[in-house]
Amino acid sequence: MKYKTRLKCFATALGFVSLMTVGGAMKASAEDVVLHMAVPDWPPTRIMKDMFDKEYKPASGNKVTLDVDFIPWPDFYTRVNASLTSGEKKYNMAVSDSQWLGAFIEGGYFRKINDLIDADPDLKKAMDGMHPKILNAYSTYPNSTPNYYGFPQFPDILVSYARKDIFCNDEEQKNFKAKYNKKLPCTGEEFDDVDWELFGNIGEFFMRKKGDMLAGKPADDDFYGVGFQVGKGYDFSTSSVNSFIWQAGGDIWDETKAPDGHAEGQVNSDVAVKALDHMLSFIKYMPPVAKTGTMDIFKSDELFRAGKIALNVDWVGLGEASLDPKTSQVSDKLVFGMAPGTRGADGKLNRTSQIGGQPFVLTTWNTDVINTEAVGFVKWWLSKDVQTEYSSKGGQSAIKEVYSDPKYSTYRPWNRTWASSLDYQKDMWHVPQFYDLLTQQQDQYDLAITGKQDAKTTLDNVAKYQEKLLNEAGLIK
Amino acid sequence: MTTAVLQTSSPAFTQLAPDNWKLAVVAGLGISIVACFALPPNLSFWVVGAMAVLVAMAFVVNAYRRHYYGGLLVSPAVAVLVVMNIFPLLWSLGLSFFAYQSSQQSIRFVGLANYVKLLTDDLKAPELWANLTNTAMFTMLTVSVQMLIGFLLAVLFAKQFPLRRYLLILVLTPMMLSVVAVGVFFSYYYDPTFGVISQVIKAWTGEQFILFSNKTGAVAGIVFADAWMWSPFVMLLVLAGLVSVPKYLYEAASIDRVGSWRRFWTITFPYIRGLLMLALLFRTIEAFKMADLIILLTKGGNDTMTISYHVIRIANEQNKTSEGAALSYLLLFVVIVLTNLYLYIANRRSQGN
Repeated sequence: MKYKTRLKCFATALGFVSLMTVGGAMKASAEDVVLHMAVPDWPPTRIMKDMFDKEYKPASGNKVTLDVDFIPWPDFYTRVNASLTSGEKKYNMAVSDSQWLGAFIEGGYFRKINDLIDADPDLKKAMDGMHPKILNAYSTYPNSTPNYYGFPQFPDILVSYARKDIFCNDEEQKNFKAKYNKKLPCTGEEFDDVDWELFGNIGEFFMRKKGDMLAGKPADDDFYGVGFQVGKGYDFSTSSVNSFIWQAGGDIWDETKAPDGHAEGQVNSDVAVKALDHMLSFIKYMPPVAKTGTMDIFKSDELFRAGKIALNVDWVGLGEASLDPKTSQVSDKLVFGMAPGTRGADGKLNRTSQIGGQPFVLTTWNTDVINTEAVGFVKWWLSKDVQTEYSSKGGQSAIKEVYSDPKYSTYRPWNRTWASSLDYQKDMWHVPQFYDLLTQQQDQYDLAITGKQDAKTTLDNVAKYQEKLLNEAGLIK
Repeated sequence: MTTAVLQTSSPAFTQLAPDNWKLAVVAGLGISIVACFALPPNLSFWVVGAMAVLVAMAFVVNAYRRHYYGGLLVSPAVAVLVVMNIFPLLWSLGLSFFAYQSSQQSIRFVGLANYVKLLTDDLKAPELWANLTNTAMFTMLTVSVQMLIGFLLAVLFAKQFPLRRYLLILVLTPMMLSVVAVGVFFSYYYDPTFGVISQVIKAWTGEQFILFSNKTGAVAGIVFADAWMWSPFVMLLVLAGLVSVPKYLYEAASIDRVGSWRRFWTITFPYIRGLLMLALLFRTIEAFKMADLIILLTKGGNDTMTISYHVIRIANEQNKTSEGAALSYLLLFVVIVLTNLYLYIANRRSQGN
């Protein structure tokens, strides 16, 4: 009798709980849709969330909320990776660095979106209107095939950040001309035309000790010529090395040629070794922290904003802080140009550059309702008006219709370089082994940057490792 | 009491009773094995789990009816230990025999291949060895510095002097800070452009000082930061020993005119020896696992990669779960051997005395 009563009690409780669960789920699908999204915490995503909350009206009539996890950049990969691979299925959408695509698509987490694009003429139009280089980098896996996975959240490129007060100073102009017989760039257009040779001259020219004259005044602290990312963390040296290798006519291991392409011979070719040496030659003109291997995109930006560097090459995405007098000592002294390139025999600059920025993706476990709402959100996001507004608030757009508007270049001082830079953007690997490739490569580059190993040995080690790893993975035969 | 005596006889093996644990074990095992072969993994996992719960419940009911209250009382603790600790440990041990990556859906039994690969691969083995020697170096350096400073601080704070309490709180503060805060703080402290050290040295030499430009500097920087943070911990333990020494022993010693050195070795040291060993053990185990400060300060640059950081990279960042598990077990083996060696030496010493 006693047992029976207990059993009854238990059954009733179970019934009640299941009723509540089913009821709750039904209620959610009928009216409220919550889109859970993982994004890095920085202005481009904050602006998006803000615009969504204020302006987005779903066409379906459902009440759609965007629940965003703002994750600090240094933890972003680890957190998203942990969430996806643990199988918690928390996020319906996530911002993803383009290199992660392969790993998370092969893992079965990122949803292929070709069917959604084909089913929706508006979405198709938006995707078609995108710059092809951006589309390839942010959306395709295998790299550069018509298999689409991502939509651009914030496209990003490298630009030159320069100190107008120093470069345009008459004295400095005169001295530079006397020393190198070249014009020291001063306007944005002149910075667009800076090649690595001139970049090196600038680096050498602006190395000043405390008390040396700098733009007509004694420098209050040591001052350095140039800066760009050469750090050990994440991809903070690979991005620079890739650009140098591509511009020199070399290549990294090219996944579009798998399985016939090799790493050995390609990664450590003479051209690549020369390119790496070329990159390393600028470290002596950088703040000393570069020699410790911790000069990443944040550090060089910080040093530039503290007024310690004359010319810095960094992502547009970090630019807002340099314009804000609260976070920048140089906010009123800035001029921007396209990132430097390598001058060919024809006098033209080859500016092939590692692309930055991120797409966002849909996950595979989304229900139809969620998918419909997510597509609605994406369509709204990629529409001309929204992209224009986003750009005017400090975002960037890869949609041709938006960035070719003459007004676009007035939104931010670096926007002038946007459209012409897009053509030169190129991405590193999208293969699932990217993190393995990346960490080993970063370790090796660090040895070269901190002066413990020459360029040839470094690239030989990288090539040997990649050949073996990719061979085991079946990507090199 | 009488009802209790009546229920002490065990049920027959075939009897379907909630306290028939023998039957529960056999049935649980049988059903688990069948489930493992017949059902897909995501279902059989839960079937096996349910069987484990069933067996555990049978044991509990059995203990309740037989009045094994001791066992019954510890059972919640055992349950927590099994669920939170032993199960994940065994699970990861199992994983180390498979080729499995958390970012991929396939899994394949490979036996000892992961271990063999880690220990013999021409690219991986030297890396592992380098990381192990780095870890050993960091362990020896940080622990000895911390023991020394912690001990000296404890001797200082065992005495009475003005403002002692406030100074004690100040000295203990680093231990309570988060490692991330300490790491960020020290990365600025050592920074060649913004850092205090560099500024001070520059005022002297005119050149900025790049501490992390070579391995010696990088190691010194990390060891200093770690010692700054954890010496107070050693101090706290030693201080507890020092204040527990009865005053009358010192009084007797001073009547006998015992020298201060002898007084320390024969009176003070026996009281703090146990705590010193404890501090040594704790700090060694912790130092062996050091990764956080290195990630924050050098990211493993300048040959400061430790084995823990290496595991984090393989298992968490590169998603090579089973390889990471194998590496963790190699690491666990080393730690177990080391701690047992410690305890053996410690015990022999105390027996010798």
